[in-house]
This record gives sequence, structure tokens and C-alpha cells, in this order.
Amino acid sequence: MSADQSVSLQRGSPVNELTRDLRLIGRHVYYEQLSFWLNPIGAFFSVGFSVVFLTLLAIAGGTSKVTFLGGVPLIEYYVAGFSAYGVMSVCFSNLAITLVIRRENRQLMRLRLSPLPTWILVLATALNMAIISAVDIIVLLLVGALAFHVALPAQPFALIVVGLIGVACFSMMGVAASTAIPNQESAGPVVSLVFFVLVFLSGLYFPLAPGSGLLQISNWFPVRHMITAVFATFSNQPGIDAFPWQDILVMAVWGVICAVIAVGRFRWEPRRR
Amino acid sequence: MTAEHVVVVDNLCKRYGDHTALAGISFSVEAGEVFGLLGPNGAGKTTTLEILEGFRRPDTGRAQVLGVNPASRSTSTELRERLGIVLQDASIEPFLSVRQALNRNAGYYRAPRDVDEVLALVGLAEKADDRVKSLSGGQLRRLDLAVGVVGAPELLFLDEPTTGFDPVARRDFWTLVRSLAEAGTTVLLTTHYMEEADALADRVAVLRGGRVVAEGSPKSLGGRDISEARIRFRLALTTDLSTLPVAPTSREGNVVEILTSDEISVLRTLTNWAAGADVTIDGLTVERRSLEDVYVTLTGGNQVAVTTEEHQ
Repeated sequence: MSADQSVSLQRGSPVNELTRDLRLIGRHVYYEQLSFWLNPIGAFFSVGFSVVFLTLLAIAGGTSKVTFLGGVPLIEYYVAGFSAYGVMSVCFSNLAITLVIRRENRQLMRLRLSPLPTWILVLATALNMAIISAVDIIVLLLVGALAFHVALPAQPFALIVVGLIGVACFSMMGVAASTAIPNQESAGPVVSLVFFVLVFLSGLYFPLAPGSGLLQISNWFPVRHMITAVFATFSNQPGIDAFPWQDILVMAVWGVICAVIAVGRFRWEPRRR
Repeated sequence: MTAEHVVVVDNLCKRYGDHTALAGISFSVEAGEVFGLLGPNGAGKTTTLEILEGFRRPDTGRAQVLGVNPASRSTSTELRERLGIVLQDASIEPFLSVRQALNRNAGYYRAPRDVDEVLALVGLAEKADDRVKSLSGGQLRRLDLAVGVVGAPELLFLDEPTTGFDPVARRDFWTLVRSLAEAGTTVLLTTHYMEEADALADRVAVLRGGRVVAEGSPKSLGGRDISEARIRFRLALTTDLSTLPVAPTSREGNVVEILTSDEISVLRTLTNWAAGADVTIDGLTVERRSLEDVYVTLTGGNQVAVTTEEHQ
């Protein structure tokens, strides 16, 4: 009996294999969705938090307008900004914390030792992040439209593209960040601090005027570009690019860099043994 | 290697920096066997298991599982279809129901067992719709086992499977493992509990400092089956020891101890004497060296084997 013969390769035709792979992806996404939504506190802090934050800032901002953004209502900026925030919160914060917890309590190890191919796990995880992000954006757009009369994005296709690039970029950042966090106790505080600082610097709570010092700093990070890219899809204002290629390029570069870090440093097993 | 060898470990070595985890261990496991890996913490049990699971590569030596190198990427998915693994301290999604959690894992396999059948097998049928987070420690471990066997594995790895169990749960778990073994599943088990190894394993290997220091049946390990039996009993303090038909090995107060390799004949002589002389023999016990005694000797006694009672 040769080594290869001893393993029964019960593989079917390529079409059957493709069908099975698609079913595996669908199944994994389904159970990830169940796990996410059945955890009410986790779901609230990932999705509901952005709605609460948007509502509070919108009430506080009243009817203010942003003069250096062509006089758009501040609430429109916030709806765009918190849509970006939702994607970042889900894909960066939630994913990083979840990965650290699952690594440390050996859930990742269990998955690694199952017959689920790694590429299916990665793809299903990205799809899961995209679905949660899409739900978050839709809820925010509806709250903006119904409660504050903010028009829906003028460029919905561009919003979808920006959303997908954002999901990819911030998911990679989430995976890369998880590799630097040693244990589950520190995952929440570390990720929240990093995320809060990046969001603060990037002008989510108050639009950054052109030429400001903070803008010079935040332009190096993808958070600022996610916010401006989503905002651009809302507007038909002259001077605001409806298809924000530069922002997308910056996010793509960050995504690639973080993907390289993630692939090089990712661990399936806990650090504490 | 013969076709019946499900696991072959041949001169396996593994180092982590300056620490030698495995220093050339060899053993094999036959189809349908329950094989126990025993040893104190740091002896190399988990490293061995992780190499066999394909999770780590050895520095030198050879590992084969179901006929293939477990570290080979080209056969890893197919190999994992045929393996069941119950890890130490691995969590399961707490917000899913028990059935959902098992369904999720069953879906990874091409030909899984029926989920409800597995839940019944591990005694969790009544908990099927409960959230995983509501299960007790013993029930969680049963769910771990259910996840391990839902893919209908030919080979099952159990890493310290009953740590934290109460005595009843532990015995129920042993019954479960025996039924899996009787159905043809080969089991490779690591444990600290000598009673567990004694009750479950057909053969065991004792690891110490990354080496196999003994291998064999739990009943015969370290010469247990041919060692002297220890007969102990109490006599009244007034009994004249010189009238005993067998010379005592020692006496402490009114407790007499006799070491013998022919306990049947000694017992017959003793009981005949007691009946004839109208002497009462209290608290009579006959013991051979326990597996734990052998284990403590083999592992140098630097870490006393954990008995079931100590963990309750």
C-alpha cells in the first residue's frame, strides 16, 4: 500500500467539487452569521453603536453645514462617516478581537484540524464581514434618510465598490492586528484604543479643514480615506470626486501591506500554552 | 510498517530552541486499538499528538498516520476527513445551540454521521436545542467528543479527554470510548489518569523527558503481572504472631503485611488457620502494584500521577 493510495480520495467531478465548495462557503457564512447575531452585546457594539453615535452627533450638530465641503449639511457628512465607521468597526475591531479570542481558546486550531480548506475559511470570513458591513450601512442610510432627511448616496455603485475595498482593507488590518495581540484579555482594550485614535485623527467626529495639521497625519492612514471615499459617493458637489480613486488606492495599498503581515505572522494555535 | 499500523512513530525528534521536546521516540498503533500516551507535563505527549495531527513538523524522524505523512499539504484535507480530534480546552461557539454547533462541524465532512445519532451517543440528545454556553463542563466535553466523532473518523485523537470530570461522568465517558473502539475506531489517548489508561487502553507508552521509557499492556507494564502481591489484614493485638502459618513481611501495630508471588495459596493457608484457631482476620486486602505505582517509578516520581480522587 503506497502512502497516497492509503488515503481514500473520494473526490467527484470538477462540477461536483465546485458545488461542494460553494455549499461549504454558504454553510460557513450561515453559521458565522448565526454566531454573530445570536450574541446581542457583540452585535450591538459592532452595528448598533454606530447608529447610536450617529444619532447623538446629528442631534448635537443640528442644522450646521460644512463650509469647506461646499456647504453640505453636517448630518450628511456624519451619515457618510458613520457608514465608513461601521465597515471599519466590523472588519477591523470586531474581526481582530474575534480572531484573538478564537485563537486563544483553540477554536481556530479546531478549524485548522478539520477538513475545511483554508481558502474557503478565508473567503467565507470575508463574505461574513461584507454582509454585516452591508447591514450596518443600510441601517445607517435608512436612519439618515428617515430621521434626518439625508438623501441616499448619489453614486450607489461607487459606494458598493468603496464598501468592498473597505471590507478587504480593514479585514486585512484586523487579521494583521490580531497577530500582534498576545491574549484575549488585552484584545478589546488594545483594538479599541487603536481604533478610537485612528478614527479621532481622521475627522469622523468633526470634518477636517483642508491644510490642517491633523489632515496631514491622517492622510497616511486608511481610515481618513474610507470616510472621504464614502462621503464622495453621497455628493454631486463640484470638486468632490464621485469615484474616489485616490482613496481607494491608499486603502488597497494598506490592504496589501496588512495581508503580507497577516500571512507571515498568522498563528492558528494559542500563544499561551 | 504493516497495513494494520494506523499510526507509526519512528525515532521522532523535536526541539523548541534549547528545549528538547522529543528525543527520538518510536511506537506504533494498530487498527482498532486504544493506545494510551502517558507521562508528566512536559514529557512530550502534546507535541507528539500535534505532529500526528499534522499541526507540527518533526525536526527528524518519521510520522505516519493512516499511511501518509500528516504534515503533507497534498493529502492534508483528505487525511482530516478520516481523523477525529478532541483537543484540550478547545471552545465551541457559545451562542449556537448544541445541534447547530454539531451541524456546523458535520458539514465540513463528506460523509458525516447523523447529528442526532451522535448527540444520542454522547448523551446530549435532550440538550440539543440548548445554547452551548448553558452546558456544564462535563456536557461541554461530551460535545467536544461529539465534534470529534461526527465525521465518522477511523482514527480518534483524545487529548486529556476527561480532565475536570466527576467520577460518574468519567466512567460514562469511558463507556462511550469503549463503544467507539468496539465499533472499530482506533483511539490514541493522552491522559494523566492512570485509572483511565488502565480502564481504556489496550497498550500504553510512558514518556519521560521526550523519550519512551516503557511500552506495553497496562496490566503488564513494569512487570505488574508478575510482581509480588501485597496481602494486608488486621489481627487482635493479643494474637501470637508466631502461630501464623505464613511469615509476615512486616507488622505495624495490629496490621500485618505479607508480600508473596503466590497469593492464592497463602490466602488458603491463612483462612484455614484462622478458622481452625478461631482467629478473626479483619480488613483483608490483596493488591498488586497499581499502574500508578509503575508510572511513578518509571517517571522518576518527579511528578506524582494524578489520581481520580485528587481532582474531584
